[in-house]
Amino acid sequence: MLDRSHFKTVDWWLVILVFINSIIGVLMIHSSSHYIPGSQAQKQMFWILVGVLFMFLSVSVDYNFFLEYSPFIYVAAVLVLAGILLFGSLTAGTKSWIKLPFFQIQPSELTKVFVVLALAYLFKEFKSHFISLRMSLWSSGLVLIPVFLIALQPDLGTALTYVPLLLGALLLAGLNKKIVVLFIIFGLIAGLLGWNFFLKDYQKDRVRTLIFPQEDPLGAGYHIMQSKIAVGSGGIFGKGYKKGTQSQLRFLPARHTDFIFSVIGEEFGFAGVLTVMVLYFLFISRLFRSLFVSRDRAGVYMVFLVFLMFSCQFLINVLMTVGLFPVAGIPLPFYSYGGSSLITNYIAVGLVINVKMRRFVNV
Amino acid sequence: MKSPRIYEDLSLIRRRSKFVFTLIKIIFLLLLVYFWKVQVIDHQKYWKKSEANRIRRLPISPQRGLVLDREGNILAKNIASFKVSIIREKCEDLQESCQRISQLLDMDVKKIEKRIEKFKSFQLFRPIVIKDNLSDKEVAVIESRKSDFPEILLQTESKRMYPLETLAAHVLGYLQEISPSELKSEKQKGYEIGDLIGKKGIEKEYEDLLSGEKGMALEVVDSEGRVIRQFNQKQSKNGENIRLTLDLDMQKQMEIILEGREGAGVVLNAKTGEVLAMASYPNFDPNKFITRFTPEQWMELIQDPDFPLENRAIRGLYSPGSLFKPLVAMGALDSNIISDRSSFVCQGTTYIYRHPFSCWYEPGHGRVNLYTGIKNSCNIYFYNVGKNLGIRRIADTARVFGFGSPTEIDLPGEKRGLVPDPEWKQTARGEPWYPGETIPVSIGQGPLLVTPLQVAVYISVIANRGKKVIPHLFLSGSFSEESGPREEKSVLTDIPRDFRHSDFEKVITGMWMAVNEQGTARAAQVKEFDVCGKTGSTQVVSSETERKMEERGKKIETHSWFTGFAPRNDPEVIVAIIIEYGGMGGSTAAPQAKKLFALYKDKYAR
Repeated sequence: MLDRSHFKTVDWWLVILVFINSIIGVLMIHSSSHYIPGSQAQKQMFWILVGVLFMFLSVSVDYNFFLEYSPFIYVAAVLVLAGILLFGSLTAGTKSWIKLPFFQIQPSELTKVFVVLALAYLFKEFKSHFISLRMSLWSSGLVLIPVFLIALQPDLGTALTYVPLLLGALLLAGLNKKIVVLFIIFGLIAGLLGWNFFLKDYQKDRVRTLIFPQEDPLGAGYHIMQSKIAVGSGGIFGKGYKKGTQSQLRFLPARHTDFIFSVIGEEFGFAGVLTVMVLYFLFISRLFRSLFVSRDRAGVYMVFLVFLMFSCQFLINVLMTVGLFPVAGIPLPFYSYGGSSLITNYIAVGLVINVKMRRFVNV
Repeated sequence: MKSPRIYEDLSLIRRRSKFVFTLIKIIFLLLLVYFWKVQVIDHQKYWKKSEANRIRRLPISPQRGLVLDREGNILAKNIASFKVSIIREKCEDLQESCQRISQLLDMDVKKIEKRIEKFKSFQLFRPIVIKDNLSDKEVAVIESRKSDFPEILLQTESKRMYPLETLAAHVLGYLQEISPSELKSEKQKGYEIGDLIGKKGIEKEYEDLLSGEKGMALEVVDSEGRVIRQFNQKQSKNGENIRLTLDLDMQKQMEIILEGREGAGVVLNAKTGEVLAMASYPNFDPNKFITRFTPEQWMELIQDPDFPLENRAIRGLYSPGSLFKPLVAMGALDSNIISDRSSFVCQGTTYIYRHPFSCWYEPGHGRVNLYTGIKNSCNIYFYNVGKNLGIRRIADTARVFGFGSPTEIDLPGEKRGLVPDPEWKQTARGEPWYPGETIPVSIGQGPLLVTPLQVAVYISVIANRGKKVIPHLFLSGSFSEESGPREEKSVLTDIPRDFRHSDFEKVITGMWMAVNEQGTARAAQVKEFDVCGKTGSTQVVSSETERKMEERGKKIETHSWFTGFAPRNDPEVIVAIIIEYGGMGGSTAAPQAKKLFALYKDKYAR
């Protein structure tokens, strides 16, 4: 399955870019959590090693093998999501976690990869120029079932990261006007129902806060204000590593997880922001290149969806830190502390490497 | 060997991907522009805000003012006490810290967590008090394990202390942590959650003077939270010491009288309205619950069916009983319904509106005039006077003497009592006033309700022949020289009706005879100190109260009243005293009042 010739075709640049981004992440995690116990930075390094292992596993087998089994994997993942809703215990107010003896995992992260595979499987033989109603319903159902289950946990942030997958798949398959109109109507209805029946008050507050952050500086708008102050006070070159007062004095919330980009902005200023954005951009560009060497349709779909997943998650997180998006609890890929998200990301990158590696393989 | 590769045409979906990538590139660029704006163009604005975050404001508490009696004896002071606080910023894990601290201090962890929850609006560096009034042992334990608990802070604070314990507890009041509703109304004055504030009595009434003004210290910290600079932005200003009109000797005597009973008593200076003594029993020791926390003693007190926290002198509502008779006499004389020569015959019982009404003295007093009517407290005489006077004129006269409205003493929570009249009955009960109801009111029974302090003020009008005192406790404040004279409590006030001077003399003669000529109040007689007085023994009519008392195994005695003034011609002192379920006024309250008159005479009378 894996012979030496394959190794030569591994996209080493992509791997290097992933490592650079991950290591900056570890350094920033250290800066923003060295004063609390648990040495999060060390743990993150451990998760990177685990991630590499998983990446190796996801590279080792031809992706078509995964695709063959993707319907089963998908169903299994959905069952797990339903299972934790029914049997899971609350952790920090949500049922997002499966507790294992030494750590806990968040199935809603891993499921993302399975949804990517399932979508690629769905569209691998789809050759017409525009999507059919049947296919659009299939793909919508495929994505919205896990979205719904995750939103019920409730973990709206993670649920939100699935939406680009659906939009991406539809876009790639070709949207015609009829379907767009249909989706807009459906989206409006879902939005109205969601706002009135599903969103919790704190989530509504976050949306409102986005629009009027000054209204409630100690309530829901507090996090956004403090994050913006952190970023803005960083200036061009920042306050220096471990010298950011907003972060070190704990005015910044979720410093080593969701708001790690604010720490970068505060301690390294615009220079740091620019560097990280360029490095991340190089990473997604590198991902994107594999799209042109994929040997089949499913490969293109996989690469594109993974690319879109990484792009959107990054952009949403960064927009959130400067108050341009509601505080949704979306981690910054490779930077934020968290094992489940990191492993998911490494697997996803592994799939893209897999596609590029096996571009000459005959089916 | 290799079959020819057949690639599909994927150009369309690749083109579409490129389009999406272009969109993403644009967003990346726009985002960079936005960061340029926030970090470079608007840098100053955010820099200032982040610097402001490094400045910590810590309030400095002033010393609360002392409360002294008129001779300078300390009634309320401050002592040093230890408190322990948690600083959340220094906690590695808040929950774990709570656990550890709960073991260290032997406290319920839930209590600590609840406490922290209450103060969650505090900034993280602000200490949150989790236990105060620490014992020496607790201080030693905390001190010895200081290095293991960087997140806790041991501090001294000045704590209110009442050295005489229960003495004058109702007058002084007490402090407790400010409540959320008070916080809303007091916020402009610089109070914040967790502050102690006067809740009752003088502590509440003069909270503004006693509490002083808070100061503010500023600390600038670096990114590791170390204090770089510290300075006082505003000095705190200590509270003002307050001297009360209370006379410790009189107060003690009053409390000895009431000890073990239920009731209240007031001694006023007849000319100025200064309160020389005011007590209410059962009482309490405020030292036991001046803490931020609510100990068991406090719960016992507020659940006690005898209401020990209530100041009966201003909040106890009683029927005045026979104390009311001089007032009815004043009203009747003023309306020319009677003169000192008119009389009625008392045979022990009389029928009015076909109902029997009896005198307390069953054999009957025989022919009774104004003087003997007051002296012997003849009910029949006053039934007839009251019947002729009518409820409206009785009620008007009662209001003229101050009943039905607050005395305006400088204590919070004073009750106004009740003066019944036809309008009151129509609104309160929805029924007209029946003439028969006037009869009990003539002897101070019926729906009429008064406080002991109102009784003292009423007597001041008689003693001063038509002038009223406004009772007060504030004598002077330590800063009053600086801040100019305080609002001078007018010494004597006019009442809204001009009585004939001779009418006062007639009623006073009756009251003098009650004490000095073998009348009902003879037990209050003090040699060479012309005491004039009136007793009262009021039936506890409310059936509800009766039941409650019987449950507790108490025999239903009448409430025992005495009120009076001395000396007759140049009144100096007024006493009003009620002993609940004490029996006859003449046998229980009057001899106790004598002790107060005697003490006053020894100490003050020339």
